[in-house]
Amino acid sequence: MVATAPETMSPPDRGIRWFLAKQTSWSRAVLGSGIAVLTLYIVGAIAVLTSHGWTGTCPEGVTRLECSPSDPLAAGLKSDGLGLVGMVTVVLGSVIVAAAIASWKRMPNRSAREAVISGGVLAAQAVTLSGALLWFRGTDIDRFARNFLNISLIGQKTGLVWDTVVDSIGSIAGVMLTWAAVVAGLVGVYAWLRKTGPRLVIYSALIAAGGGLVWGLISVASVPSFIRGAQNTLVLSGAGAALGFSLGLVLALFTMSKRRVVRAPARIYINFFRGTPLIWQIMFAGVGFVPALRLDLDMYTIAILVLGLNLGAYSSEVYRAGIQSLERGQIEASRTLGLSYFQSMRYVIMPQAIRRVIPPLLNEFVILIKDTSLVSVLGLTIAQKELLGIGRDIYSSSFDATAWLGAAAGYLIITLPMIGIVTIVEKRMRSGLTSVIG
Amino acid sequence: MNSDGTVVRLEGIHKWFGDLHVLRGIDLKIVPKEVVVLIGPSGSGKSTLLRTINVLEEPTEGKVFFDGVELTDIRTDLNRARTHMGMVFQQFNLFPHLNATDNITLALIKVLKLSKDEATTRAHAELEHVGLSDKVESYPSQLSGGQQQRVAIARSLAMQPKMMLFDEVTSALDPELIGEVLGVMQDLASEGMTMVVVTHEMGFAGRVGTRLLFMDDGVILEEGLPPEVINNPKHTRTQAFLAEVL
Repeated sequence: MVATAPETMSPPDRGIRWFLAKQTSWSRAVLGSGIAVLTLYIVGAIAVLTSHGWTGTCPEGVTRLECSPSDPLAAGLKSDGLGLVGMVTVVLGSVIVAAAIASWKRMPNRSAREAVISGGVLAAQAVTLSGALLWFRGTDIDRFARNFLNISLIGQKTGLVWDTVVDSIGSIAGVMLTWAAVVAGLVGVYAWLRKTGPRLVIYSALIAAGGGLVWGLISVASVPSFIRGAQNTLVLSGAGAALGFSLGLVLALFTMSKRRVVRAPARIYINFFRGTPLIWQIMFAGVGFVPALRLDLDMYTIAILVLGLNLGAYSSEVYRAGIQSLERGQIEASRTLGLSYFQSMRYVIMPQAIRRVIPPLLNEFVILIKDTSLVSVLGLTIAQKELLGIGRDIYSSSFDATAWLGAAAGYLIITLPMIGIVTIVEKRMRSGLTSVIG
Repeated sequence: MNSDGTVVRLEGIHKWFGDLHVLRGIDLKIVPKEVVVLIGPSGSGKSTLLRTINVLEEPTEGKVFFDGVELTDIRTDLNRARTHMGMVFQQFNLFPHLNATDNITLALIKVLKLSKDEATTRAHAELEHVGLSDKVESYPSQLSGGQQQRVAIARSLAMQPKMMLFDEVTSALDPELIGEVLGVMQDLASEGMTMVVVTHEMGFAGRVGTRLLFMDDGVILEEGLPPEVINNPKHTRTQAFLAEVL
């Protein structure tokens, strides 16, 4: 008798419903109360602070010691209500942590065990956060709030007054639609000619709409000093990246030459720029080299050049690693077919290497975005200042350190999406999708 | 074809990798339609010798002639000479970012300057030749090892070479996939292609080869008709090697 092959089976469902069905009443209780105590802490704290208000107004001509827009927030932080939220969280959270520690090993299955552990960890996080809050309440909150929590300052300096934004929502949407339509039209023609699918069109239209949103917000902003700083940060890093990534590719090819006379200068260049601090390079170019040679370059151009030259050195090592990670057989097969060295690079090696180096190059780009802050050592004009320079300006005119927080928020708004893109690209590459998609 | 009737002529080839003397004075003539099979223990220099024929390895000493042109002369246009010599590798070396058709058309378009349509037509014909007309759109990662190797053979054949070099092309394949690749090579030999084959497949060597070279320690130790060498090796080293692999 011939054994028949079993029918193909779909993998068993291991989704959230299966996870919940595996729970015991105890594990459900621990996970539930862990979630509850963390939520209670966050929602409770926000509710107490909101009831006192996040920012306030002061009469004209009063000193910051007498009244600060941060006073309501400070009052909220000092209030008994917030203390109560903190104490309750610490007590409840500790009980849950203790219960989880005592019981996680006794759970009957893995799902229940994971639920108990997660509940305990969430409760521990709530305890840690509220412990930090209780400690913080013991410090000089008034002074801290006056210096760091003047949130209205950031709103003022970004010019993002929400009423204005809400009023102009129609015109912002108009800008977004126009941008998306124009880009979709152009890319659509390209996609139609190349007979590619609609996905490229949709993606580029979405990106264009995002650009339109940023542009719309900027155009309705009234005192856009932080926005202008962010623009300058983007221009400095964008132009620096364009220069640096192109230069890096050329340098990488030079360092892989079989001829020492080609390799040596490239290595000297790379080692010099990797071996000296970027801030030294910026200062030397800005206050030494360029003025001494009487070159007619303004500080902004110098900043872009130095950032690009520096990134060139770092990115060339990334390119080189990417190219050298390919199997030797690839170039051998290509040369065997009669392609020249440069044709092999262009059509066989680079298309594969570029895919591998995109995540590390994006990382270099994130680093570059932050390194643009170093150009603040150059005397840039107000219109040229980037985020950190703007933050410092506001601080030195207002003696309000909230400006530093504003600068940090600006960097995060730019870098977090980039970091997100790196993660997505890396995940796609690991799953092997990009090797199949042409 | 040149005056002495050879496709390939090697004269006094020596190759050192650092201090390692890999090829120690090789002289070899290959005439059209020959199927020369190179066997020998690993490290004997047979792959290096094969790679010397299309100057993937530049010999430290000696001359390589292909079709009467000296390839070791630096004034020779190697890229052009290589279009007439196909080579297939142990690791297939397909371009993973291109599908089967584009793997083949790349050199046709960029080197032979065919139009895209001509190149595609030729690529599809060659894929059919190796029995893969249903895989024209497939990427290398979607093909089995045997299929990848057949695409690699089709890629070389599409250049319409005068000879083909095979470097242990079945060594990386699962046993049940070896047959399909050897079959393609056997067909190619019966069509009159000049071939140099480095292999451990003694059955194939005896059946398809017109001449067998046994290499050991960087020299050609013994040569002759494949069945004669395999069944009646003269040199003790050859005997020992064949006793190991048969």
